[in-house]
Amino acid sequence: MPYRISVDTGGTFTDVVVTDSAGHFTIGKALTDRQRAFASIAAALEVAAEELGLQVPALLADTAMFLYGTTRGTNAIVERKTARTAFLSTAGFPDILLLKEGGKSEPHNLQMEYPAPYIPRRLTFEIPERINAEGGVDIALAEDAVRAVLTTLATRGIEAIAVCLLWSIANPAHELRVGQLIEEMLPGIPYTLSHQLNPILREYRRASSTAIDASLKPLMQHYLLTLESDLRAAGYHNDILVSTSFGGVMHLGDVVQKPIYLVKSGPAMAPIAGLAYAAAENLARDIIVCDAGGTTFDVSLVRDGAVEFSRDTWLGPQWTGDNLGMASVAVHSIGAGGGSIAWVDSGGLLRVGPHSAGSEPGPACYGRGGTQATVTDAAVVLGYIDPAHFLGGRMQLDEAAARRALEAVAVSLGETIERAAFAILTVANENMIQAIKELTINEGINPAESILVAGGGAGGLGAMPIAAELGCQTVLVPRTAGALSASGMQFSDIITEAGAARLTTSEQFNFAGVNAALADIDTRLDIFAERLRARGIISVRKRYFVEARYRFQVWELEIEVARNRFDDASHVAELVEEFHRVHERVFAITDIGQAVECLNWRGRLIASVDAPSLEPTRAVGTGLATADRLRAAYFGRGAAIETPVYLGERLPVGAIIKGPAIIEEPTSTLVINPGASARVSAGGRYILTPPKETSL
Amino acid sequence: MNLPPLHPERDKAVAYTMDPVLMAVLANRLNAIVREMSNTLLRTARSAVLAVVRDFSCAIVTADNQLLCPGEGLPVHIFGSALQSQSMCDLHKDLTPGDAFLHNDPYLGNTHAADHMIMCPVIVDGEHLFTTCAKAHQADCGNSIPSTYHAYARDIYEEGALIFPCVRVQKDYQDVADIIRMCRRRIRVPEQWYGDYLATVGAARIGERRLTELVRRYGMATIRQFVGDWFAYSERRMVEAIKKLPSGRLSNTGYYDPQPPVLPDGLAIRVDINVDANNGRIEVDLTHNEDNKAFGLNQSVACATSNAMAGVFNCIDQDVPHNGGSFARVSVKLREGCITGIPTFPHSCSMATTNIGDRIVNATQAAFAAIGDGHGLAEGGIGMGAGAGVISGKDWRVNGSPFINQEWLIVNGGPGTPTTDGWLNYGLPVAGGLMYRGSVEVDESKYPITFKSLRVVTGGGGAGRFRGAPGGEVIYGPRHDPMTLVVSCDGQVNPPQGVRGGHAGPAAQTYHVHLDGREEKLPGVVECQLQPGEFVRGVDCGGGGYGSPLERDPARVLGDVLERWESFERARDVYGVVLSGTVEDETLSVDVAATARRRAELSA
Repeated sequence: MPYRISVDTGGTFTDVVVTDSAGHFTIGKALTDRQRAFASIAAALEVAAEELGLQVPALLADTAMFLYGTTRGTNAIVERKTARTAFLSTAGFPDILLLKEGGKSEPHNLQMEYPAPYIPRRLTFEIPERINAEGGVDIALAEDAVRAVLTTLATRGIEAIAVCLLWSIANPAHELRVGQLIEEMLPGIPYTLSHQLNPILREYRRASSTAIDASLKPLMQHYLLTLESDLRAAGYHNDILVSTSFGGVMHLGDVVQKPIYLVKSGPAMAPIAGLAYAAAENLARDIIVCDAGGTTFDVSLVRDGAVEFSRDTWLGPQWTGDNLGMASVAVHSIGAGGGSIAWVDSGGLLRVGPHSAGSEPGPACYGRGGTQATVTDAAVVLGYIDPAHFLGGRMQLDEAAARRALEAVAVSLGETIERAAFAILTVANENMIQAIKELTINEGINPAESILVAGGGAGGLGAMPIAAELGCQTVLVPRTAGALSASGMQFSDIITEAGAARLTTSEQFNFAGVNAALADIDTRLDIFAERLRARGIISVRKRYFVEARYRFQVWELEIEVARNRFDDASHVAELVEEFHRVHERVFAITDIGQAVECLNWRGRLIASVDAPSLEPTRAVGTGLATADRLRAAYFGRGAAIETPVYLGERLPVGAIIKGPAIIEEPTSTLVINPGASARVSAGGRYILTPPKETSL
Repeated sequence: MNLPPLHPERDKAVAYTMDPVLMAVLANRLNAIVREMSNTLLRTARSAVLAVVRDFSCAIVTADNQLLCPGEGLPVHIFGSALQSQSMCDLHKDLTPGDAFLHNDPYLGNTHAADHMIMCPVIVDGEHLFTTCAKAHQADCGNSIPSTYHAYARDIYEEGALIFPCVRVQKDYQDVADIIRMCRRRIRVPEQWYGDYLATVGAARIGERRLTELVRRYGMATIRQFVGDWFAYSERRMVEAIKKLPSGRLSNTGYYDPQPPVLPDGLAIRVDINVDANNGRIEVDLTHNEDNKAFGLNQSVACATSNAMAGVFNCIDQDVPHNGGSFARVSVKLREGCITGIPTFPHSCSMATTNIGDRIVNATQAAFAAIGDGHGLAEGGIGMGAGAGVISGKDWRVNGSPFINQEWLIVNGGPGTPTTDGWLNYGLPVAGGLMYRGSVEVDESKYPITFKSLRVVTGGGGAGRFRGAPGGEVIYGPRHDPMTLVVSCDGQVNPPQGVRGGHAGPAAQTYHVHLDGREEKLPGVVECQLQPGEFVRGVDCGGGGYGSPLERDPARVLGDVLERWESFERARDVYGVVLSGTVEDETLSVDVAATARRRAELSA
């Protein structure tokens, strides 16, 4: 029985989802080992394998596909722990990364610190050379000067090099030669050439993506290649696919060459899971997907049934952050999760995060040396998490340690431990509410008209008060909530793209050139398709796109092209017609009669994999729910309440549970606050209705 | 001291009743609509000044002509939108869905003739509810010289721009062909103009579409209640913000550079401010300035008002919404026939958006610094130097067809503030850092020019406890054929001043670099021909500093030297910070004892 394994390595937990060919889901979870990805994957696989009655080597040997996502790259960027990278630019233009493209928010707020460039100015070096807009060489590359710079780099502890020369997209000769010289003089030092990574016009975007990519190479290449060899050593011999910022997956061998695609790896899969689950329940087409793990809280969106993309991806704020130079799934992340540390600031205010206890040492209750109070510790003190039943009872928590850690916070606040714990959860929820508002209300999306999919190990703790505050009427919690991103990979299409630049106009259409470009794209996609076919994946389709614009326009608009071959004027007319139509829809105007210029052609291969059944199966019972036990839990008002605790796997379809109640799933805990209620849907998921008013 | 009530009915307690979450949703929905309008204009425009640099603004105005949502438009463009929609309502009693109006008349509420404003009335079920506004600075507007800035124009006739005093340019969503033909005949590079016109109409139309959907979605009654409550909320926030200031009168004078022969001695720009904290009101008085002159630097009503307001909003709580509600608490006193007031026809306002306008913003925000430490801002970098020159000529790559565009590769350092160093990509005081930068590659692909270098100047900001941001240096020229360059730069003689002991930023400079490498210094306002192989070199102003440089945190000075903002010499001689070690081996550090001695020496 061939299995498919998907893994998401977060800052705190590593989630594993195993599906068999019948679509049964099995989940495993383990603390993340920051040094070696496979250590935690093996531990989480152990859990899943045990449930399947297998040993890990047997499971791996019988696995057809391994899908992997990780926030390792993003975390390194956020924490500024990427490689010490040098930036090589054309002489005279050293400040491209500093000046960016201008623009700022808040028209009258001049009391903002100007952001530091992605690579410091002191690690920026000017290369004497110049290529012009048509690709001609105005100033030849001064190889002596390049050699002198590279000699300097060797003495300054440089670990990676980003090369972005003006107009390398028109003539890459100088960048290529710099690449050769790097290999000759600094062998082994990873580098990125801008025209190879992201051949786009506009020096800042190209330079920024080049800098980000190069800075990730030492870390992510080592990380992924180690994972690959560990997996091979453990007996896995099929494809390793890695989740990318585009919400699809790519082969590991391809992604290590361009680690920039890993920037949203993992979190980009959460909305795919949210979409699949909501569709299965026939729920609204506007979905807010929240994933609260141990370290970060990620929000993403599905609008009108499609995963929301951001066309310009900024790491950090628009204009003042760092531009990825490419589109990606829109994910807004903040430092908030089960591991977020609670502290009292100098003004006496309670703060939660952004610092996280991570997996090492982890929250105090993990008993691994953590002494600072975290959200998870607060949930233990409040009675939401039962120390004897955490992660399905696999990990015994230390309640006394949690109370000790909270005591310090309680004393600073002059509150009881329970009230301090409730305050910590309230502040954490508030941070998450703000993060959701950033992506919804700030964009004019009304959360009251959307459903909320709550995932992540900590997602069930605050789902009810968060939804109530936002006015969301319906919250959907899948049983696999604890591994939302890893679940999303199971539903993800395998997507690969091939592109070619071929400038032509509708007036003098270059039939031969465009057809050659499209044929080349097809060839590359077909090779990939053949490899998939060899693995039994035969449901493959191709789509074609072109970036086009009216003559004299500066920005392009992407339209889908219905064909991969242009034979006569009627085919060109069809393309022009489609461009007018899309231009009218997006921008409300057309310029009928104006020539249309076509620039970049792209083919996308989408391979659908048999979608697994969506939930662990659950018996159709009487609809009556029986509590496993009662536990004292505290909900902010008055004293603790004796609260029924239900075991998720024993709840039958149709069961309705009124708050206060707690539902325990093996990888997550769902808190049903007083006034709220939960229903087990026919699909086996939890559909929650928040209380009318919050108990904040 | 107390001002007479401006709006007696408004001075009653301002209250709102709407659910705050729905109010926030709707306010942000309007912002999202304006963002979509702006994105439409940016993505569809053809000239680099619009499609790359974003020298345009979009806004939503109510049917009773109050600014409802300025988005993140340039204050100088947008604050006066209501004046223009007012003229649309006054002049056209037959507003019909499908109408669009072209308005660039500076005597009728527009900023200056180069800003073409397109307005579409949003009419739902027969009722005019909003007006969508999209204003774009044209690459050319038919002036008598190949620049949209005519500093020496004696009057509107010499200026030469085609003026459209709010004329109907679309009916039933179709162009009024007569108007289009007029523009095509007189505006240089008509294809570029028409594409930019379409982009601007598209922006206004997208806004119309989305607002109509919004009204359909939430209902007329809710939207009406929202508009009233949003203004009430905004006004209340403004009152609270003003109450945080001490009451009192402030006065400040800035000096515009000499510009022979029309301004041989320069020009004083005086701003008087009365803060009435008790009643939550601020008045800015611009009447104590000279009469209109026979040049293109006169302010229009829209510009004078917006620039004074921008100076005020720069100095108060940033969280106050900018709309008709908060505007009700600031009044700007103007005088008929005054350079900084109401221009008498036919005085030219060709450069109303920038030069003297920038001085008004600077003088206003620096005036607030007199209140005390923590208030106001230094003066920001000024002048549209060579990096903002208007270039024109022929492009041999496309059969010698003509081109014209305003470059936007200036940096102009932002002002030092009470809590931060100046913002680097400041642009101009009237733009406040909102405009995007040009791209060297985009400019070189669209126009037959080549850039030799573009960099930020080390030591180029005014020193201070919080320093002004440095300006940039740009060098570029034509490749194959001669090129005309028009530069309209202020700030070569009177650079941006520091406040509270902060130093002034360095002055702007422009040089003509001849074939033999010889550099000829050019005056601020200049038109010149560059031959292939020749270059223009422009150095921008840096912003003024805030507070004494001897009070600057030595750790910040260390960071400045590490990252090339300041030199070793300036660290030692201006900031009194002595450093040891080197940048190269990352050992640079502050010599604490030597710094203490050096600072004592310098303050003696």
